[in-house]
Amino acid sequence: MGIKLVARARLDAWVDSLVQQQTVYGAQAKGDRFAFDRLERASALRLDYDVTILPPKKYFQPQREVIMRFNRKTVEFESVIDEEPFVLFGVHPYDMVAISQMDKVFTMNQFDKHYMARRANATIVVSSVETASSSVFAACMNNATMRGKSGHDVLITKLPSGHYVVDPRTEKGDNLCEGLAEAPEANAEALDAREKVLNQNEKSLRKYELRVLPEDLPALLDRSRSHPVWQEKAELCYSCGSCNFVCPTCYCFDVEDEMGWDMETGHRVRKWDGCMLVDFAAVAGGHNFRSKRSARYSHRYYRKGKYSWDTYGEISCVGCGRCITACTANIANPVEIFNTLAEAPQ
Amino acid sequence: MIKPRIAIFDFACCEGCQLQIVNMEEELLSLLEHVQPVEWREAMSDQSDDYDIAIVEGSITREEDANRLREIRKRAKTLIALGACATLGGVNKLKNLFDLEEVKTAVYAESASLPILETATVQALHEVVDVDYRIEGCPIDAAELTYVIKCLLIGRAPAPPNYPVCVECKLAENVCRYDYDEICLGPITRAGCRARCPSNAFWCFGCRGPVDDPNVHAATQVMEQYGKTVEDLKVKLTLFGTQ
Repeated sequence: MGIKLVARARLDAWVDSLVQQQTVYGAQAKGDRFAFDRLERASALRLDYDVTILPPKKYFQPQREVIMRFNRKTVEFESVIDEEPFVLFGVHPYDMVAISQMDKVFTMNQFDKHYMARRANATIVVSSVETASSSVFAACMNNATMRGKSGHDVLITKLPSGHYVVDPRTEKGDNLCEGLAEAPEANAEALDAREKVLNQNEKSLRKYELRVLPEDLPALLDRSRSHPVWQEKAELCYSCGSCNFVCPTCYCFDVEDEMGWDMETGHRVRKWDGCMLVDFAAVAGGHNFRSKRSARYSHRYYRKGKYSWDTYGEISCVGCGRCITACTANIANPVEIFNTLAEAPQ
Repeated sequence: MIKPRIAIFDFACCEGCQLQIVNMEEELLSLLEHVQPVEWREAMSDQSDDYDIAIVEGSITREEDANRLREIRKRAKTLIALGACATLGGVNKLKNLFDLEEVKTAVYAESASLPILETATVQALHEVVDVDYRIEGCPIDAAELTYVIKCLLIGRAPAPPNYPVCVECKLAENVCRYDYDEICLGPITRAGCRARCPSNAFWCFGCRGPVDDPNVHAATQVMEQYGKTVEDLKVKLTLFGTQ
């Protein structure tokens, strides 16, 4: 199927028919903010959202998931795999970049079948950003648009005219867009208007200006181990992990067995963990590899700007700005930290 | 397997935490397949001095209560403090902020001098005896009690969360209460409640007490950022005696 130019009413009718046929998660209002949630009707879909509180990673790696059931008497066990197909509607480009990175992480050493089953069953509709959040800096990280990127099945972009350019990118995307077969093809004028929207996003999705190139962050961090900023900022760190949990590229988890009342059967649970939490690096025998707040505080930046680069060749801060907003103490702004490091004499 | 004998005792409190155990309803029957309750005033008439696990609710406000608790400690192999009054002193600890005689007169008026109303400063259980495990909260979450009991049955050390309520708030994808210009105790309060209050549009009251190493410095510094004072924060902390 080609690229379609779709009026809002037709888009809504399409979404309404999708939610009748399958599980669709879409960006919706939550209090004064936004969150991805099960979509019941097109009118609840808020493609004009700025940023969701949690990234869509929760649909691939849920906050808490049962990964195995076991019987400790008979020593039998079976994996639990979630194979329900679903549509994720309205993902922003920076979050799509994060999902693609997580695909790497969950397959590069051990193939994580729990994560990948969900990933394989997902159809992802990326929406070009319509409203910039107050702390987004995705453009600084080259993640303002999907230009030169993949992983998404459909790209939709709202034009100033109010129409949407709906661009299926994969076979899954084509199938999803079947309901738009009657819509007109996007003409050159519409495609040109889309380019202008994307150009604009590359300018506007930078509420903070990163004064180093993303690819220079590994070297910058490498020479900044003893910079006083780690200690300074860590003094205000609650070790609450908020910056971890809202981050689309934080995937750390803890695994725990929960017993049933028969004391024989139980299940193994995987749940989100975060490197800011005091017990994250605590091991048997009582040792804690990062018992100091400053060690934990700096670790997050090294993980985002250097370790992921060393491990799989990407900077894992995508510029969504969620950590900036989520941090009650206002000490989690990666741009501020990286710029501070860059100012230090080499 | 011989079932461990459990006794549940109460001191100064509203007994609401015990009520959470009663409210377990069907799950209570599963629990009773593994333990033998021998004393539990709120739910049964039997009494016994022979028990393995003592679950103790309430705070200690009189010398005779302290002595009774010491006896319980002697008899029990394991002592579990149940709920905010037992673990922190709880709301009862507000009394300690005032002159004792004034408090007595305010509450009991002309009867204040009766010997039966003799009362002392409020203490949490661990201020009187050694406590093995704490189940925090006002009221407790029964799921945490069953977790601790299952751990004991299976021979594993219970590990209550040592991270702040913010964790569970983020997992629930709540809007931060600071965004609503409120002082929330979530950043320094021990999680385990599944962020019950913030998930229902209230700030965290701190009923589970602080995490092991709360960043008090951050908590006070942050007040200024939000146009609040350290005094505002202290008032909030006073409610459950965690100041």
